[in-house]
Amino acid sequence: MKGEWILDKNHLSYWLRQLRKDRQLIGPLRDEGRDIVFRTVENIHEIVLDCPASLPSPKEFLFPQYEPMLRLNSNPSSPPLRKGVRAVEDLTDKNRRVIFGVRSCDISTLGLLDKFYLGKYRDPYYEQRRKNTLFISVVCNNPEPTCFCIGLATGPYLEKGFDIQLTDLGDRYFLQTGSAEGARTVRSMAFLFRRPTKLDYEDQYEVFLSSKAGFQKRIGLEGVRQMILSGRVKDDFWQWVAGRCFECGGCVYECPLCTCFTVTDRVYPDGIERVRLWDTCLFKGFTRMAGGVIPNEKMVLRTKRWYYHKLIHYPETLGDFGCVGCGRCTITCPGKIDMATIATKIKGLALNGDGE
Amino acid sequence: MNSNLIARQAKNNIYLPFNGRIEEIIPLAPDVGLFRVRVESQLTYSPGQFFMVSVWGAGEVPISVASLPDEGGVLDLCIRKAGMVTTAIHSLQTGQSIGLRGPYGNGFPLEASKGRDIVVVAGGIGIAPLRPLIHWLIRNPDKAGQVTLLYGSRSPEDMVFRDEIEKWREGGINVVLTVDKGNEKWNGHIGLVTGLWHEVRTDFKKAAAYICGPEIMIKAAMRDLFFLGMPDNRIITTLEAHMKCGVGKCGHCYAGPKYICTDGPVFSYEEIKKHAIL
Repeated sequence: MKGEWILDKNHLSYWLRQLRKDRQLIGPLRDEGRDIVFRTVENIHEIVLDCPASLPSPKEFLFPQYEPMLRLNSNPSSPPLRKGVRAVEDLTDKNRRVIFGVRSCDISTLGLLDKFYLGKYRDPYYEQRRKNTLFISVVCNNPEPTCFCIGLATGPYLEKGFDIQLTDLGDRYFLQTGSAEGARTVRSMAFLFRRPTKLDYEDQYEVFLSSKAGFQKRIGLEGVRQMILSGRVKDDFWQWVAGRCFECGGCVYECPLCTCFTVTDRVYPDGIERVRLWDTCLFKGFTRMAGGVIPNEKMVLRTKRWYYHKLIHYPETLGDFGCVGCGRCTITCPGKIDMATIATKIKGLALNGDGE
Repeated sequence: MNSNLIARQAKNNIYLPFNGRIEEIIPLAPDVGLFRVRVESQLTYSPGQFFMVSVWGAGEVPISVASLPDEGGVLDLCIRKAGMVTTAIHSLQTGQSIGLRGPYGNGFPLEASKGRDIVVVAGGIGIAPLRPLIHWLIRNPDKAGQVTLLYGSRSPEDMVFRDEIEKWREGGINVVLTVDKGNEKWNGHIGLVTGLWHEVRTDFKKAAAYICGPEIMIKAAMRDLFFLGMPDNRIITTLEAHMKCGVGKCGHCYAGPKYICTDGPVFSYEEIKKHAIL
């Protein structure tokens, strides 16, 4: 399963073209608004590799923002096909994809996402997409000022958990395979790759070192978790956080580990589709019950829940923080209450007491 | 549809509902109906569990089971017309089909209260998930001591399962009723259920309690029972929440570190305090 190879940069576009033959090729592209987004690649030379971390996570290819789940293929008023049974179509996405240019932090989310989606109840939509998706991740040689994966061991490069990991060594890539599917993919086109030499290993090591040196933020979350558990983060702190929240949901949209969704039925002339859409615990109506009661009506309950879920409850229930240090919320949050800022502030409470 | 097919479908896709046929709709109170749904007789579920009940075009809602599974292959769902989906359910007729997924949730810890006196506290339509528990207690008199049901509702008209209360009394249950506002025919108590503890002839320290009703009533009843000496791990309640999936994915019912759907909906007062669920 584990393999190490060298891919000459001149061979990259040929390799991707070959991969595209039986899979949809997804990569980071610049859209009309000059933003970087993961989209289906038409022209391989348009892939933007050394792009800022602000690109949205590719989570939408595992759980899309809008996902049709089931379809009832008949007019609701027409009689059922058989007694008590109507034809319900399962709309599970069966496309095979290869996502190129993914960052280490986003690959690190897969462990937690698998535990979350494929636990006691297996989510068939996630499972199918996950099974059909091959990830080719690229080590971040130049971390952004907002990145703090290094404090969480979720980047800039990974030891395990990836399918195929590339390290840019200038004129060539150091390629590592970390899964059976990754190894199979490389082996099937073995003529493109050669075995690494001592020089390649040295260059890779040097790139790792300089990447590590490039981090401006080094934030671990274990100390933050301990501070919260010890009861030293008081309610007035969360009140302050809530006071700065715009309820825009931007952090949730960008967060590679935010998974909440809502389900709604869309009625069309020829049938009904049950679809799910991203939703967020930060919105007031998220917990509203039919009678009108809203358990989490107060803003402070909602912002606190967002942080508690990632910092306290995920480690408790699934064994990992609900944060990989990608820094996207730092870029997005207009209220400056992103994970890095809040973590730093909570750590500051330990030094400076409880005053703001 | 046989149960193997249901199991196979559920194995492939947890979100795919199977159909039940509405056999009877019994009006219980204004806007409250008992929907008796014909399901495969092998379908098992226990008191305190719930189903995601759906109408195509409207959506799905969690509804707790109001019957025991071996009551002739009929699943009772006590539903109040409150929102979009329950309104759609109320527009259904006898003979039409209704979507079901489940059963989900943990259910009441029936074995934990074995041999103890039991206090059942119900408020309004909160009696629905407690009804199969009451049936179970009547059917298994050896599993519990004296059972008292304290049941309160807004008015005599809002009191559901009125016709069954006599049967429950005959079954050995001490039923005490109260309403917020009586009428000329009412000869029971007036006031809150939490004002009826003196009607319970038991040693609270040794008894167990099952509570369901509006959140404010649940909180008050749990606290009262705790102060009356009942250990918090034997004060049991079942909670409701907005849910979209029922299987711990959508996030809507997340309370404290728990999901009401998969970790609950039945919790003890001990868990509720520990995890700040209510």
